[in-house]
Amino acid sequence: MARLGNLLDQPGVLAAFEFRASGELLDHELRAGSPITTDILELLASMCAANVSICGMQARGWEKLTGMSGFSNVREFTLVGFDWSVVVSCAQREAQRAAGQETIAPYQGVVLINRDARYEAACKALEA
Amino acid sequence: MSIVADLMNLPGVIAAGEYAFRGDRYSYRGQLTEDQARMCTILCRASTMGIVMQGRMAETALPGAGIRPRGWAMRGPEHAMCVVGNVFCVMKNQSGTMDSVLARLNTAMADVDMHLV
Amino acid sequence: MIKRLLAVDGVLAVCRFRDDGGMVESYGVGLDQDQLGKLSLVAHEYRRMLQGHADLFSMFTNMRGWTPPRGWAVRGEKLTLCGVAGVVCILDNAEADYDEVLKDMIEIAHW
Repeated sequence: MARLGNLLDQPGVLAAFEFRASGELLDHELRAGSPITTDILELLASMCAANVSICGMQARGWEKLTGMSGFSNVREFTLVGFDWSVVVSCAQREAQRAAGQETIAPYQGVVLINRDARYEAACKALEA
Repeated sequence: MSIVADLMNLPGVIAAGEYAFRGDRYSYRGQLTEDQARMCTILCRASTMGIVMQGRMAETALPGAGIRPRGWAMRGPEHAMCVVGNVFCVMKNQSGTMDSVLARLNTAMADVDMHLV
Repeated sequence: MIKRLLAVDGVLAVCRFRDDGGMVESYGVGLDQDQLGKLSLVAHEYRRMLQGHADLFSMFTNMRGWTPPRGWAVRGEKLTLCGVAGVVCILDNAEADYDEVLKDMIEIAHW
């Protein structure tokens, strides 16, 4: 499970956060001077939880329909906004679920500034 | 009587209105500020688009299953909201209100073309 | 034009679609035209829904800089689905440079 403080070291990261599948924000870290606030992260967590669920439904549907496997289980969802992006990961949860663990980690995510964003590095850091 | 006027006559209804599936035009009646009404219609548009999209995907996966969403409703502790087609209604969560609202909406919006979403 | 994307490492399929979701052109490995058409429809619907969510989020937070969204990505165990404007790609996670493809897509989608 990545530490939120370590996620802030990734290029372009303005904030790192953890949330439940219900969308409830559990914890967060902000880079100094970041325009992101706790209020923004609370809503972002809700929006991301909704979208991860929708992606999961779509991935399963797509695989059933086309027989093309490889999307399920969804590991990361990314929204590239006009100036900012958000990447959230459920890779840790899926690994724990597959291993039959009783307690499942929360979702983790980072908010990035597009100019400096390295999406793949963000995904890797979230999966670490 | 228009569906919006009809809904406004029901006990417990706080506001009702219409919004365009595309673009940002809307009209409403009831106890909402202009800003609240605008936000309400943005919310309606986004959520309706979401359920219609899911319905279309379900229809692709299960052709002929008749999954063609036309509306949605959400019920909180004190207030509820119902949307069918391009009409929305905000109401108090009191006994019978949601049923009456949905019954009227379903009848009035029976022919709404959801392809326009 | 989008055919160029298929030459990028790890890109398995690419489609361009119109504003109504209709496919304009598509190329893919292991997907037939019907499946590529469905991919266009899914990407089109998903893009519109996400745009709605981004509008809502932007409105609730009053934070500028999220809308209009440039794109989206869903990363699965082996594959990633990636959309920018009217272009959608399927990537092989093991082969594709995610950032490079996204950059190319942003460039190509606006031609």
